[in-house]
Amino acid sequence: MATTACFIIVSRNDIPIYEAEVGVAAKREDAAQLHQFILHAALDVVQDLAWTTSAMYLKSVDRFNELVVSVYVTAGHILYFIHTRLMLLHDSRNDDGIKSFFQEVHELYIKTLLNPLYLPGSRITSSHFDTKVRALARKYL
Amino acid sequence: MDPAMTPLGKMLLEEITPVVMVISTPAVEETCLKNGLSFLQMLTPFCSFNNIDVPVRTASDQPYRIHKFKLRLFYGSDVKKPNLKVAEQQLKQVITDSGEKVFSELCLDVPGFNHEVASSEDRDTPSWFQFFNKELVRVASFSDHEAFDHPVACLLAVSSKDEHPISRFVDLFNTNKLPSLLKDGSMDPKILKHYLLVHDNQDGPADRASKILTEMRNTFGTSDSLLLSVNSSPDVPIKHQDNPWASQIYNVPPNQDLGCFLNIDDINEIKDLMQDLSSKHIIPNMEQKIRLLNQQVSATRKGFKNQIKNLWWRKGKEDGVDSLNGPTYNFNSIESQIRVLGDYAFMLRDYELALSNYRLISTDYKIDKAWKRYAGVQEMMGLTYFMLDQSKKEAEYCMENAFNTYLKLGLLGQQNATRCGLWWIEMLKARDLYKEAATVYFRICGEDILHSAVMLEQASYCYLLSKPSMSRKYGFHLVLSGEQYKKCDQIKHAIRTYRSALSVFRGTTWSYINDHVHFHIGQWYAALDMYDVAVKHMMEILACSHQSKTTQELFLSDFLQVVEKTGRTFEVTKLQLPVINISSLKVIFEDHRTFGSSSVATNTKEALWRSLEEDMIPSFTAAKTNWLELQSKLISKKHTLSNVCVAGEAVKVNIEFINPLQITIPVSGVTLICEYSTSTDELTSDEKELSVKTNNEVDHFRDMSSYNSSFLVSEVDFSLGGGETTMVQLSVTPKEVGTLEILGVRWKLSGTIVGFHNFELSHPKKNIVNGRRKAKRPPNEKFKFMVIKSIPKIQGSVHSLPGKAYAGDLRKLMLELKNPSEFPVKNLKMKINHPRFLIIGNQENVKLEFPGCLTKTIGSVQTGANANPNLMSETIFSFPVDTSIQGETPLSWPLWFRAAVPGDISLYMSIYYEIEDISSVIRYRTLRLHYNVQVLPSLDVSFQISPSRLRIQDFLVQLDVVNKTSSESFQVYQLSSIGQHWEISLLQPPDTIFPSQTLMAGQAISCFFTLKNSRRLSTLENNISTMPVGSDVLLVPQCSQDLVYNSNNVPLVNFHHYERLQQKALHEDLGDLNTVDFVLISRPLNNSINPGLSDPPHVMSHHACHLSTASTGPISWLVDGPQTLHHDFSASFCEINLKMHLYNSSETTAFVHIDTIDLDSSGGHINSVNALPSATPDNQVGWHDVTPVNELKVSSNAIETQPGKALLLESVSPYIWSATSSTNIHLEPMSPAEVPLQICVFSPGTYDLSNYFLNWKLPSKGLGDSDETRQHSGKCQGYKYYLTVLQSP
Repeated sequence: MATTACFIIVSRNDIPIYEAEVGVAAKREDAAQLHQFILHAALDVVQDLAWTTSAMYLKSVDRFNELVVSVYVTAGHILYFIHTRLMLLHDSRNDDGIKSFFQEVHELYIKTLLNPLYLPGSRITSSHFDTKVRALARKYL
Repeated sequence: MDPAMTPLGKMLLEEITPVVMVISTPAVEETCLKNGLSFLQMLTPFCSFNNIDVPVRTASDQPYRIHKFKLRLFYGSDVKKPNLKVAEQQLKQVITDSGEKVFSELCLDVPGFNHEVASSEDRDTPSWFQFFNKELVRVASFSDHEAFDHPVACLLAVSSKDEHPISRFVDLFNTNKLPSLLKDGSMDPKILKHYLLVHDNQDGPADRASKILTEMRNTFGTSDSLLLSVNSSPDVPIKHQDNPWASQIYNVPPNQDLGCFLNIDDINEIKDLMQDLSSKHIIPNMEQKIRLLNQQVSATRKGFKNQIKNLWWRKGKEDGVDSLNGPTYNFNSIESQIRVLGDYAFMLRDYELALSNYRLISTDYKIDKAWKRYAGVQEMMGLTYFMLDQSKKEAEYCMENAFNTYLKLGLLGQQNATRCGLWWIEMLKARDLYKEAATVYFRICGEDILHSAVMLEQASYCYLLSKPSMSRKYGFHLVLSGEQYKKCDQIKHAIRTYRSALSVFRGTTWSYINDHVHFHIGQWYAALDMYDVAVKHMMEILACSHQSKTTQELFLSDFLQVVEKTGRTFEVTKLQLPVINISSLKVIFEDHRTFGSSSVATNTKEALWRSLEEDMIPSFTAAKTNWLELQSKLISKKHTLSNVCVAGEAVKVNIEFINPLQITIPVSGVTLICEYSTSTDELTSDEKELSVKTNNEVDHFRDMSSYNSSFLVSEVDFSLGGGETTMVQLSVTPKEVGTLEILGVRWKLSGTIVGFHNFELSHPKKNIVNGRRKAKRPPNEKFKFMVIKSIPKIQGSVHSLPGKAYAGDLRKLMLELKNPSEFPVKNLKMKINHPRFLIIGNQENVKLEFPGCLTKTIGSVQTGANANPNLMSETIFSFPVDTSIQGETPLSWPLWFRAAVPGDISLYMSIYYEIEDISSVIRYRTLRLHYNVQVLPSLDVSFQISPSRLRIQDFLVQLDVVNKTSSESFQVYQLSSIGQHWEISLLQPPDTIFPSQTLMAGQAISCFFTLKNSRRLSTLENNISTMPVGSDVLLVPQCSQDLVYNSNNVPLVNFHHYERLQQKALHEDLGDLNTVDFVLISRPLNNSINPGLSDPPHVMSHHACHLSTASTGPISWLVDGPQTLHHDFSASFCEINLKMHLYNSSETTAFVHIDTIDLDSSGGHINSVNALPSATPDNQVGWHDVTPVNELKVSSNAIETQPGKALLLESVSPYIWSATSSTNIHLEPMSPAEVPLQICVFSPGTYDLSNYFLNWKLPSKGLGDSDETRQHSGKCQGYKYYLTVLQSP
């Protein structure tokens, strides 16, 4: 289990639609904004990297001190409006776990998308989604 | 691209140049100071030569030419490692100064992001960045591990004023005063010396000077002795165009004129002196030294033999000194010499030679573990590669290697690492590798906070410049840099960086980022006492619902503190706290529509009222479509442009305030901002005003906050708990005729900060409940009101309307209307949306006592007027013409209420009245009342009617009553039938049905009645137009106080009418004349009434209408004959005569056809489409005649034959129809007929005489008959009729 892990889903126009601190570390006051800063900055890298590979899992794309950003890009390059990036900020090096985590969360996300009442690109407020993501984080990270 | 033309190349050509050590006497300095310059400063501008063109021949035989050259001049005392502390202090000063400067510029304008990008090309390295970097590089100079800072020559200057100039020259180059570099042996102290005699022409002619010069030439040699005469201009100072010193020296006092005593000859002399010095002395000297060193190096190190030897020798030295710096090298050690050779070659731009030497020495140093020297050499290798413009990878590798090696040294290598990093960055930048450059900047950040702040900021600019530009990284690094600036108290820089970062983050939804940036900018501005800007930024983060509670508290308290410090109430537009739910905004105003209460206006739909009032309101709006009526059109147009409200009547605005935080916030002084003008139709000027308004909103609102005497605004205070939402009603009451516009709302947060919210400009789309004409008008028109003079307004309310009632509850209510104004109103009309629930009574009903008026004895007068069906179909009730309400006395009018069906009922009442004052814009008004009644289910009443088998016009009625309430008990009091001469009577006495006389909660009872149709054809015509009369049955034992309620009385009959209309739709069989209506009257038992109901019900009526009596069609029939018969079968078979009674209950002549069937079909089914199952007793739920069978079973002792046998016999039809097997008759409407039938029975037994069919047919009404649902023909099987034939004894 990672001590620090911040998971975020970024929709088009770089709007975060889901955020969760899934690490076990005690929360620091400024951690939330630092994590957001790092993840937000990493979008720059993702933007370039996503076009160079056909893989969805981009591994670690960026790092800040000991924190690493791993990214999983959904296959939405053509359909721009569902182009979504799942981003995880973590300090552990469990690559396989992170990959599985991303895959499962992606599935969950697709299920959310299939919900006719969910407007793509809007914030995911489902508590069910939240619990599932946290459970997955406990399992894989 | 020529590497020399890149920024790095230029920098190297400037920075890595030969150093000339200058040593001067105080007298020389004195002379120069007259010009505001030191001696060194005086010479400096003439040390760089752009067009020198000197041939150079180094190690190779091929000479080349140098065009540009530069010398660096340093005082002898400065040729040492710079003092770190002083340097830092200086750097800090530079940063602070630039901070002040940039900040003051920044305060003037806020650059947008795009602007930033566009100008970033030249902004990437602001001047102070370059200066800062230069200083950082300089900090690392004069290190003993590199040779390019070692002086190549020494310039000794003595003034002609000095005494014993020759000895002074000797003294100056005294070893004691020499810099440590020369003393400690890290460089060769035998350097080129140049002796300069400085003569001040102001001191007199140059005679003495030339004398000394000859003396010098004799002592030091001709070529090394020079004379420089300065200050030759007369006493008048000269102003120099393009002052050559201006760019060199910072902090020049503005009135000081640099070089004011130096005329053009002096300057030329200095120029020539320096050019000679470099081209004739320094460069040849360096060439010579290079050649010399090169020979030495070749001799000792080049060649295979030497290499082996060197290696061997180095290995042996391994266990030598192992300090951090590695072994120390003397200036005459071969290592130092190689390094000097390399550096000299570099300075003379023989990069090939330099590189080969660097390579040579680099491995040596590495083996010797002289890390600092190794790094230094690597660094130079990198630079040389770069200058050679080959092997970019190699260059970068060397730089990285050097950088890492320096870093490994820790504190010792810190400055060098920084310098190396900066050069590396420049190298990367020269190749457009900005992204990599940024990471290097990031790595340079060392312990020193200020350095790292500047480095981070430079990194951020690199990100911005990289292609594609990485704006998010830019923002992030700016924020990081800002934090560092803050840590070393460079608040202005911090604000600057954050503000630049804001341009990236503005508009993103990354909430924490936004909060962080705004909060800190706000805090910092507050620290600089710039509270206005601070408040502006702090405001952005107030609605931070995602933050933790403590953070929210922190934000809010900081914000309030800042506001407090401003020392005044702050006024801002779009304060985010509390959040205004603009979609909840509802404007309630009363023009010709007035409302009984404010909830009426908000909770009801305008369309509903309009449909309700449709018939009542005179339609001038419809009339204006006629183009001829131009005048009316004009007037109405004026009306349409703005809403109308009446002076003295409040315009109310409902608006929702939401607290997004988890902490309680106090909100006070919530008022509407209004604008009043006396003119009524100044549209154009209004528009102008509006455009002005957008420009300076706040100022405008400030003006508005002063109270105007022509209207009154209400003020509301409340406190919003965490996450709460409050609906607030604000009102403005205009007092004079004119135009009133509601502009927005203002409130005070925590008593210190005033927030404004403009209704218009932020949200152009608005739903106003009462806005009649949407979309076409500009939105602000909805908030604009034409105030007209005061007109009467009726206030009304309905008294004693229960909020909760049981279904069937019947009450009398009072409508009270008041007109507080002095003007009378006339022509009152009223309409109610649910006449089923609410009926308008009569003036005389006021006096009636309820519920006594319902009974037969008191209200015995048949109030025929009310029963007039014409009146009841008219849904608009007009009050009598003479009705006029004025002054204090209210008008009371009775209303009848009956809770018809369970459910939540909305009752809408609209009262129309006209104003007698014709001149008014509004000629009529309506008062809208709205009440909600919750109707609970009480008694569930159902009726079953089945025809009697005994008499043809008789019916048996089963009444099922279920008490659906949870706790109430009711007394079922009376059942009345209403219909064409129906007579109803009880089958059993009431005592047997209701032993307790009450129906408890949940209890169900059934009771039976017989219903008789007393109508005959002859009376039909007479009665058809008369009132339906009924008959009543009391279901309680008669006693003196109990009275019979008259169901034909007001208001029962009216309600019954509407019930009939309502239930008509539910019942399919229209046109059936034989329907019956029942009214069940029940009373609640007083002792059991729930105290929760304020007003207990007295009488409850339940109506059931259109209950059909005819179940099989219009024809009813009955087979009449004996039930039991004795016959002697030994004598003959038995012939039995039967009679069939037929009755046609339809309005037309019916054709009836009776078929008797003898054989098989009796047991089987009849496959006929129209066969109705009504005659099969098994399915029949109602009442049917089975008595004969029962009798048979009871008195079976007399019967020998078993019933089972008889039934068996039945299947083979043991009897035959002996009369006509088929009969056709025409039945007149409403008339009976008789048909004789006969059967033959051959043996004793019980027979079911149901195997006949009755076909009936009604004549079709032809083509015009639209009544599709009605049956025109049918086929019915006979009723079961059992006949028992016994063998007579």
